[in-house]
Formats: sequence, C-alpha cells, structure tokens
Amino acid sequence: MIPTKTGKDLQMMKAAFREFYFNHGNRIEEPVRIQNREFGLMGFDGVMKRHLGFSSLGRLVASLVLETPSDVFASNAQYDFPVLPISEKGWRGADLIFDIDLKDLDLKCRLSHSYMTCFSCRSCYLGSEDRCPKCDSNNFAEVTLPCDRCINGLKSEVTKLHRFLISDIGISPEKITTYFSGNNGFHVHVLDESFNDLNSQARADLAAYIMGIGILADVIGVRRNTHKDFRVRFPLGGLDYGWRKRISDKLGISITSQRKLTKLVKELGDIEQFRKRVADIAKEMGVRIDSQVTTDIHRVFRMPGTLNSKSGLTKTLCLDLDSFDPFDESCQLSDREVAVEIMPPRLKLRLKGERFSLSEEIVRVPLFIGVYLISKGLAHAV
Amino acid sequence: MSIRLGTADLAKYPFLNEAAEYMHQTYFNLDDLNLPELRHIVERASNRIRGEIEHGKPDFTLERHEIEILTFLVEILIIKAINSDNLTKKHCLCEALRAEKFLVHDLKTHAEPSTKKLLLFKVFKELLKMDVLPSMKYQLMFEVKVTDYLKRSHLFHEQEWKLINRLVHDGRVFLDPDETVRLIRAEVTNLLLERIKQMNPSHIPATIKEQANILKASIPTASRKLAIAPSAYPPCVNHALNLMAVGENLPHSARVMLATYMLAIGKNIEEIVSLFKNAPDYDERVSRYQVEHLAGERGSRVRYLVPSCTKLRNDGLCFATSQCDGLINPVQFGRAVKYYRETNLR
Repeated sequence: MIPTKTGKDLQMMKAAFREFYFNHGNRIEEPVRIQNREFGLMGFDGVMKRHLGFSSLGRLVASLVLETPSDVFASNAQYDFPVLPISEKGWRGADLIFDIDLKDLDLKCRLSHSYMTCFSCRSCYLGSEDRCPKCDSNNFAEVTLPCDRCINGLKSEVTKLHRFLISDIGISPEKITTYFSGNNGFHVHVLDESFNDLNSQARADLAAYIMGIGILADVIGVRRNTHKDFRVRFPLGGLDYGWRKRISDKLGISITSQRKLTKLVKELGDIEQFRKRVADIAKEMGVRIDSQVTTDIHRVFRMPGTLNSKSGLTKTLCLDLDSFDPFDESCQLSDREVAVEIMPPRLKLRLKGERFSLSEEIVRVPLFIGVYLISKGLAHAV
Repeated sequence: MSIRLGTADLAKYPFLNEAAEYMHQTYFNLDDLNLPELRHIVERASNRIRGEIEHGKPDFTLERHEIEILTFLVEILIIKAINSDNLTKKHCLCEALRAEKFLVHDLKTHAEPSTKKLLLFKVFKELLKMDVLPSMKYQLMFEVKVTDYLKRSHLFHEQEWKLINRLVHDGRVFLDPDETVRLIRAEVTNLLLERIKQMNPSHIPATIKEQANILKASIPTASRKLAIAPSAYPPCVNHALNLMAVGENLPHSARVMLATYMLAIGKNIEEIVSLFKNAPDYDERVSRYQVEHLAGERGSRVRYLVPSCTKLRNDGLCFATSQCDGLINPVQFGRAVKYYRETNLR
C-alpha cells in the first residue's frame, strides 16, 4: 500500500503525465490489431474505466492527453467487439504474457532500500519494522526503491525465462519481447500466434512448467513399487532434455547411474523424501513468474511506452537486456524543477544518469525525481 | 496426398476421408441396405450398437474393409434414426476407443517408417489438423508440438499429463504410442459426434428404421429424475447437473466439483454415484470408487473439499450470478440464499 497523496501531489503528477502524453505520445507502442483490443484507463481517483476501444493509436493518445489517466492498460486478448461486456466480446485469442516482479524474488538487499511511512505520525524511516518506531502505530506503508542488485536479480530471472521459452517451448527469440514494467519488474510478451488460442488451463500448465511446479519423481525414473519401496527404471527418452536433464544434472546422475540413484534415494530416507527433494530442486530452478498473469486470457496489461503511476517511469522496451538501465532509459519525464518536501531523514537514488542525495527538507528537484518520490510516497509536492 | 492408405487400414479407421471416398466410388445407394444381400451388414451394425447399449464397450472384431466401412455407415444411420443424445455420445466414444486400440497397435508394430508416417498423416494431420512425427532420436516415440499437446492435455487430471512431467525439447513433446493416441480420444469422439449431427440423409431405409425401433425399445430409461432445485444449488452445480441430465460428458474437474459439493451438503455415496449414470462413459464400479475416494473412504483417506470459486473460474466452470457476489466457495451459496430468504421474510 502506498501512502495517501495530497491534492498538490496529484496535481503535480497529473500535469507531468499530461505533458508526457502530449509531447511523447508517439513513444507508445501500438499493439497488433489495435481495433480488436480492449483498453483500460485507471484514473488518479482510483477508478478504472474498462471495456474501451480505439481504432487507432492517434485516437488513444488523444484520449490520454484529454483524460490523463494514471495508468494505461491494453488487453492481451483480441476480441470481435472489445467494448462489449466480457461475455459478449467474442474472444479471438490472447498473446502469451509473463510478469516477473521483485516481490516474488525475496532478495536480501531489499531491507537496505525499503522505507516505512507511518500514517499516524507521518514519520518516514529506512528499513522495515512491525510497528512505527516513533509512535508505535501498526498503521504504516512499506515502499521499496529497487537498486542495481534488484534489477540484476530480475534480469537473471528474465534470462532464465528466455531459456525455457526458447530451448524447451521452442519459441523463436525474435518473437519474444521484453519490457521493464516501469516499477519493480519485467514483462515478457510472446508474439507467436500459435500460442494465442491456448485456454486458461493450458496456460496454467505452461506456467507450472516454467515455474517448476508439479514435477513427479517418475520423470527421472524413481517409481513406487508394490513389492519393494521403490524401483529405478529410467524413462523412455532418457534424461537428455528439459526438466529431466535439469534435475538429473543437479543430482549428479545420468542414464548409466542406476545404482547411484538408488543409493541417493535410500540416503534421503524413502521415496517420499526423494520426491520432496526433486520438487524442491524444481521450484528452485524454476522461474518466479506471476502465474495469474500468464493464465488470464482476459488480462488488461500495462501498455508499452506508457507511464507507471507507482514510479513515474515508463514501461520500456529492452532491446539489450544486459545493458538495459531502467533508472536511465525508463525515466522520460522532463527535468524542469519542482519543489517537494522529502519525508525520509536520508535518501539516495540515481535517475537519468544523475545521483541524488536528499534529506528531510523542502528542496527543488527535477520533475522526474519529484514525481518518482511522490509516487513512492516519500515526498509531497509543495 | 497421392499415397493412399491400404484397405486393411480403411477397415480399422472407417471414419477417415478415404473411406467416404471409397463409398462414393462404389455408387452405393442407401436403399441397397433393404436388399437381402446386405442383411448381414445391418444385423452386424445392430448387434454392435446393442453391445454399446448393454455394456458400454466397443466391438474390436475386424472384417474386410468393405464390410467394416458399410457397418460403420449403417451404425450411424441407426444412431441417427434412434435420435438419442446419450446413445450417440456413447457410440462415438466406443468408435474412438476402437480406433484407439488399432492405432496404438499400428504405431507400435508397423515396421515401415513410411507406413507409420502415412497413418500419422491421415489420422492426426488430415483429420485433426495436428502434426505428429515419429521421433528420429528415440525409437518408438512420437513428437507432438507443445501447443497441440497443451490444447489437449488439460482434459486429463492425472499429474503425469502435466507438461512438466513430459520430455520436452525445442517446442516438441515426446510421447510413446499409447500416450500419443490417448491424447486425441476426446477429439475423435467429438469429431464423430459432429459428423453425425451434421448428417442429413435424404431418407432412412426401412430396414434401418426397423432396427432403430427395436434398439430404441431396449435403451434403459434414464436414471431417476434428478431432484434439481435451481434455487438451492449454486449456478456452477446446476450447470453441471443439467449437462449430466442430458448425457453430456463432463470434464473431470466438473465431476470432482459436483461430487465434492454433494458430499459437502450431506448426500450419501449411492445418491452421488447415481448422478453420473447418464455419462457416456459411465461405469458404476469406477464411479463408486472415485466418489468413495473423494469422500475419504479409500486411497489416501483424505476427504476432498469443494474447489474454491477461484479454482472453478480458472477451470471455466463458474457461471456466477448476482447471488454469488462475495462468495468464495460454492458451499456458501445455500447459506447465502437461506439468509437472503430469511432476511426478506422478516
């Protein structure tokens, strides 16, 4: 939960967003067959308008300048009649999409750049506690400013996802597009129409595959036996590819190591313990995606090139994931100066190639910094 | 495709396009079925359908292709004349099971790769629009595209059918012959069902009508009327009950929902097993075992809970109305309706 914004906060953000869409609406990426997509515009009042349709990018941008939403979403699905209620839209298929978020990675550095904002006494602190250290209230919000380690952790997860999609699922690399979400994660879009007519259950199965969920010990040849506790018999097709190879490599076994595998199972205790070990390995090696995003065939997903109201950064295409710097490339608001009151005692961050060291006071900062900190609940407009 | 299937294959798979072409080339006329010379074909078809009605199992005998193709045609004419949805589905499932057995055998034993490939093309590609290739890397395995696999595998509830438990590489899933053929059973059944529905013969020969009337009289009357009280059951359960009542084949997840819900509201095992009597693949022994398992009386001895509304939505089994607002599980529905009634009566 983000701390409440004041009227001045919202005024500043709205003006910044309007300015962006007026000057840079051409940066918004037009989805394939825009006329068949449903759009959702979230207002700064927290009200979401769904079931919208636009016949062209120009019409959409005009609407964004006029209405200035806090967030802009487009459906992964294509419909015959996108503006009608869901049961009448006429679903024609949906792009395959993935979301990798920082909150699912549980990185150790998180506490070093997380802030608490108390709703009761309005204090703001670096770190995370169960209660406000000043007034002992438990009514507070926690906000994370991702650091370079967070971004690298996310990039590793994205790279892992790419490997699954390319070498296991067989998707061509040129059909995979990666975006920084604009806040704490990455989105991966697959533009391969052969996946478009998969239903929710099929997508759930695919998501489980990528996450390493639901694996049986049978896949590497350990099966329960009615006469003995278990037996080892390698499957037809061996252990050459996919999850079989991943698990067997991790356990240090191959198609010739029947005895070694038998010994390993006995060392762990019994087949149930071995099954648990295999499941743990798979979960560890799987990708931490948000399965609900992948499973949903009626999702409205943040549009590339639009602003994220949780940060004031844009959802940005990553042409080269390794070199992509979200603190630079996604920061596209102007640098005209604005006055803000900083809440935490001390705050260090880097945006648009500049480093900022701020303290609990009223300062003049570039707009992109002001909006970033207001979005995060760590500053207020003055 | 210039290469054609052999006549032995047409006998095993009489629903293929080539079988229809064969019939066309013989200038066969429907009224020929009234002739004494074809009486044995009509009787053969009739006996097969009787077996399906009485035992729910297919006939695996194999005659010459001319006999099998004609028998197949006569069977569907009789089925069409009987005009029972339940029996039509049962017949299509039996035909699919029959073809499945032959196909598995052929895929396992055909020595010539070209013959195997032809069979794969004719059955999978031409009929079902699905690319299946013999694996070059693993003998006796077949390769199916990941997308084709996912579109079909979600119908199976067993964990081994989940993609993660398959050998997957470079967009292909590797399956043995049994698995490859099992994957398409529901599709072949539905394909045959569609063909029968769309069939519009100019007339039904007298001998066919006669057999249809005899067989119709032998179809057991539907199981006891389901006591459906629409206002008492949630929409998801009602939907499943309505489908069951007309003999539709419910997916496994829907059957689990139905059975666990009925257990939760206090129905006994007998009552729940009888709910499934109209299913085209109904087997009382299997149904009883599964219901007892869900009730915690068998297997792991764990009683299964009713799936949540979220799970049902993800499985495409939710048909929520405004009375479902705020509910997270179907078992809450009755209590909500009861509270609503009691509140409005005050």
